[in-house]
Amino acid sequence: MSGISRRKLLETLSAGAGAMALGCFAEAAGAQQMHASDRLPPFTGPGANPRWTSVGLVATYPQKYPLILLTDRPVQLETPQHYFLSLFTPNGAFYVRWHLDEIPTTVDLAEWRLEVTGNVEKPLKFSFSELLSRFPSSSVAAVNQCSGNSRSRLQPRVPGGQWGNGAMGNAMWSGVRLTELLRAAGVKPGSLQVQFQGMDRGKGPVGHGSNAFLKSLDLSNPVIEECLLAYEMNGEPLPLLNGFPVRLVVPGYFATYWVKALTNIRVLDKTDENFWMKSAYRIPDTPRGMTTPEDVKAGTVKMIPIGRMPVRSFFAAPEADGKVPLGMSVTLRGIAFSGYGRVTRVDISDDDGKTWAPAQLGPEYGAYSFRTWEFSWKPQRRGPYTLAVRAADETGNVQSDEPVWNPGGYLWNRIERQQIMAGAAQ
Amino acid sequence: MTRSPEFRGGKEAGSTRPLGLFFLSAAAIVLAAATLLYAQSERGDYTQRNLGSLAQPVVPAATDDAKYSVGSYPLYWPELEAGEGKGLVTGYCNTCHSPRYVLMQPPLTRDQWAAEVTKMMKTFGLEMPESDRAIVINYLAEHYSPETRKK
Repeated sequence: MSGISRRKLLETLSAGAGAMALGCFAEAAGAQQMHASDRLPPFTGPGANPRWTSVGLVATYPQKYPLILLTDRPVQLETPQHYFLSLFTPNGAFYVRWHLDEIPTTVDLAEWRLEVTGNVEKPLKFSFSELLSRFPSSSVAAVNQCSGNSRSRLQPRVPGGQWGNGAMGNAMWSGVRLTELLRAAGVKPGSLQVQFQGMDRGKGPVGHGSNAFLKSLDLSNPVIEECLLAYEMNGEPLPLLNGFPVRLVVPGYFATYWVKALTNIRVLDKTDENFWMKSAYRIPDTPRGMTTPEDVKAGTVKMIPIGRMPVRSFFAAPEADGKVPLGMSVTLRGIAFSGYGRVTRVDISDDDGKTWAPAQLGPEYGAYSFRTWEFSWKPQRRGPYTLAVRAADETGNVQSDEPVWNPGGYLWNRIERQQIMAGAAQ
Repeated sequence: MTRSPEFRGGKEAGSTRPLGLFFLSAAAIVLAAATLLYAQSERGDYTQRNLGSLAQPVVPAATDDAKYSVGSYPLYWPELEAGEGKGLVTGYCNTCHSPRYVLMQPPLTRDQWAAEVTKMMKTFGLEMPESDRAIVINYLAEHYSPETRKK
């Protein structure tokens, strides 16, 4: 009998099963070898999170498959790695991130209205059925990625949602073009921005970021022409946690602008100075948003609102730390995207990024969608491999191997790596 | 329907009976050898530990009116470390958000925790007397810094 089996037998024979369940984490952390029946340690740090996703509990929420729990009030849920095997992320698996705790659990469409107000000729109010019937429906395949996706990779670590890579998803969004409503209301000359607000509210005092979540886009920004007020996500109504009945879609831009459960569109004649624009979601005005804790402390860093998403690529399969018998080919699969244009190339390395070979790209669904890739790979020797994936887009951006650091924990897009073991086949 | 190459009908098997017997005894020898060779393989390994489990939620019955409802969202109340200040931390933080926000963070230094508490007060409007502020920061640093965090 091997040592492991003997230990297991003794454990099984000892009666205190309940006590054992309580003690299991301490035991697991100290043990030489972790088992699939051991719980992950509940946090990572102060080093970087080495896992693909964060380490929280898996939890169940209405209209959702079990997802990884970051926080429960307000709700933040992360999508596990295997859902990125598909080009479109299922609605039930789509990650969730709210800022304030009073988020809709019931939406009464008899009451719900989308208002267009502010610096306009004719303030307007639309019911859900008017949005469906009075305007043509447009569609766009677009990636929605949290500004803080992969924040747990940063060194030194920064406070905030400790996402792994799963604060992103790709969907086919359908709805009314923002410009249709702006045209109907008539934007007055001298207007600068358009502000968006949804049904969510917080317990904080009025005028603070903890009371209301508001985001604005410049009217001169070409992305205004591409924005959709989406009432459909992958051919279905949006889950409440993803912004039912209507959410703003800003193709190519980080999700902070994609206001959920949208109720108010306000045209502004001055720059929005609310907390969520003036203080939060700001990045250094430097290449890749890089800076250092020292420069931040010295106050020498010029900060600007976050915008488009840098080019990224990911492994979806095999999942991290898999094992493959020598002599067998496996298909590496994943997705890539960029907020700066179509993905034109994905390269794979099986030697930790020293040499690269091109992956085969899947069908194209426009510039803002995931692009799937695959690569048939056959390990040539026993032992561990460090695979790496990097993408390039049509505007010449290529993923870099330099880590990113800024105080908000935004814009991480370093080349992804995945460990895989080639085992003996006999 | 074309038959897959692995599929063998009764007729073919019957016509090769003497050969079949030979293969059967050969297979038995191979199996015995394999048993010795693969003694490292394990079966039936279960443990008393469990990873926790999830109850399936009730899906509320849909009505044909204009209301679209999911009922209420579940809370997963966190186990914060026992110690002086736990009640204050739970009380103040829970005004706007679940104390799970504390556990979700990586271990933060005392300075980082102090900055977080300052942000909650100055930026987000939390009102807290100075004496409580010191206790809250101390609790967070005592239990959730790189040197002190256990779970």
